[in-house]
Amino acid sequence: MLEPVLLANFFIVFFSAASVILFGASYALLFAWSRVRSRPRLMPLAYAAYGGLVISVLTLAFHANLFNNNFWTFIVMLMLVGYLVAPHAIWHLCVGTHEDAHEDEANPIKVYQQR
Amino acid sequence: MAAIGISNSAPLNGGQKLAMKYFTVAIALFGAQVLFGLLAGIQYLNPDFLFGILDFSVNRMLHINAMVVWLLFGFIGSVYWLLEDESGVPVVGLGLGNLTFWVFTLAVVVVVLVYLLVQVGPGELQSIWLINEGREYIEAPRWADIGIVVCVLVFFFNVAATFSKGKFTNIGGVLVMDLVALAGLYLAGMWYTPNISMDQHWWWWVIHLWVEATWEVLVGCLMAYGLIKTMGVRRKIVETWLYIEVALMFGSGILGLGHHYFWIGTPEYWFTIGGFFSALEPIPLVAMVVHAVFDAGTHKVKSTNNPALAWIIAQAFGNFFGAGVWGFMHTLPQINLYTHGTQWTASHGHLAFFGAYVTMVIAFMYIAIQKWRGDVYMSGNLVGAWKWKWALFLLHAGMITMTMALLISGYEQSQIERAIGGSTWMAYFEAQGHVWFMQGMLWRQIGGWIFAAGFVLLAWDLLTIGKRETRPALKVQGE
Repeated sequence: MLEPVLLANFFIVFFSAASVILFGASYALLFAWSRVRSRPRLMPLAYAAYGGLVISVLTLAFHANLFNNNFWTFIVMLMLVGYLVAPHAIWHLCVGTHEDAHEDEANPIKVYQQR
Repeated sequence: MAAIGISNSAPLNGGQKLAMKYFTVAIALFGAQVLFGLLAGIQYLNPDFLFGILDFSVNRMLHINAMVVWLLFGFIGSVYWLLEDESGVPVVGLGLGNLTFWVFTLAVVVVVLVYLLVQVGPGELQSIWLINEGREYIEAPRWADIGIVVCVLVFFFNVAATFSKGKFTNIGGVLVMDLVALAGLYLAGMWYTPNISMDQHWWWWVIHLWVEATWEVLVGCLMAYGLIKTMGVRRKIVETWLYIEVALMFGSGILGLGHHYFWIGTPEYWFTIGGFFSALEPIPLVAMVVHAVFDAGTHKVKSTNNPALAWIIAQAFGNFFGAGVWGFMHTLPQINLYTHGTQWTASHGHLAFFGAYVTMVIAFMYIAIQKWRGDVYMSGNLVGAWKWKWALFLLHAGMITMTMALLISGYEQSQIERAIGGSTWMAYFEAQGHVWFMQGMLWRQIGGWIFAAGFVLLAWDLLTIGKRETRPALKVQGE
């Protein structure tokens, strides 16, 4: 079931795996920033970061021999869907968990200097 | 009201006074960890250094054991710090808690002295009970093992009984459930079987489920309390997110730990389970990025304790890079086959432990010091703020240098020792003597010295911060 990585592909596997996480974080960051600041122009950049993530995942999968097995191919697909959907899902959770904060806007929590 | 800037235990409640004792021992053990790490690092460069006096095996053991124990002291101290505040009643069984502190501290001193005084000798039943259990990372002799469990049970009693008597907040509920696992999982490392694979399986339960799972939830509880106290974030929000974190932990985290079962003789299905959940493990980290941006965008960031908040922010980044990026780089079995147990693992371990745990304990120490000094001002333009800022910078610079250096050495090992040499004994030594490995070790040592300088500055700052301040702390409304 396991096909070890070739020696020549070591660096590219490490680099693409790290890129998966970094592009994933960039996608999430730009996605959330675009929404929270109401700057739709940032959204294409967020999806460009997701594009980088797709390339990284496919590079990792190819060089780590993941496409040679159905199970690992399924994991690759699941990763791509998971990373795409996770920021959307968490955004809804954020809005849901903070919705009561609007009711408190008349009396917001303050950090103030004691006398 | 206590005088501002003057250290005074009078305004602290019983649990907080006990917490200060735990923090004091924790910082001393942190120093011991740094010291033995430096000595072990020198021995990589000069193997004759202290040979026969303080061997590498002992230095390394003390370096790692000191880390486990100081973080445990830091966590226990942090929980005692918040206990009365959260529950609204005095700590139940505080006398027992105080007694346990002294027993625990004395036991740690005796164990370290025995490690140092009896470095070489036969391994037999008697030595397992009195000197060294012989299992990597959890070498404490059997009597100390039992002592640790008793101490954690007393700690559990203090926490559970106090919350039961007072308010059972959501933070308290998660904390109590986590402490059941904290006490229970340690037991897995206390019995033997002649089958090495089975033995390793249970041993991993302590190393990974105990340290990575129960500590991670504990840190989540501390983070929730810390955000309420330093930034005034609404309790309902942080508690909701604490539950989400626990759900994610059960969803992907625990089975994701299956990547530790790849090479210890467990059945092959662990490749499937470990690989599957390890691939999904970073997704919650991405989710946290979204939440952090949401919070930063909707709340104006103003804190009552800047050093504590800076270390809490450092925790978020450290966890992301240490556990996320450094973990995923080599988590799939197709590549982990070559990297497992090399300095690559050490690189990941250093950054992940520092990022996820050390940062949070230091944040709590700053929260404690603020109140200990009469609720002193610790926000913007704090007098003498350069010390905490430089300590933060040097500790991070040292840690990043060590992490990168170990990464290079680990990369070389995974190629020369594992992939080319086929993991033979000869290949091991060939990789250990390679110029890339040695250069990595040299830079790791330089990073270690930078880290040690940061530690000295941190200790100095914890002793003096707020001493020359005259302003009272900023206050969160409704606190």
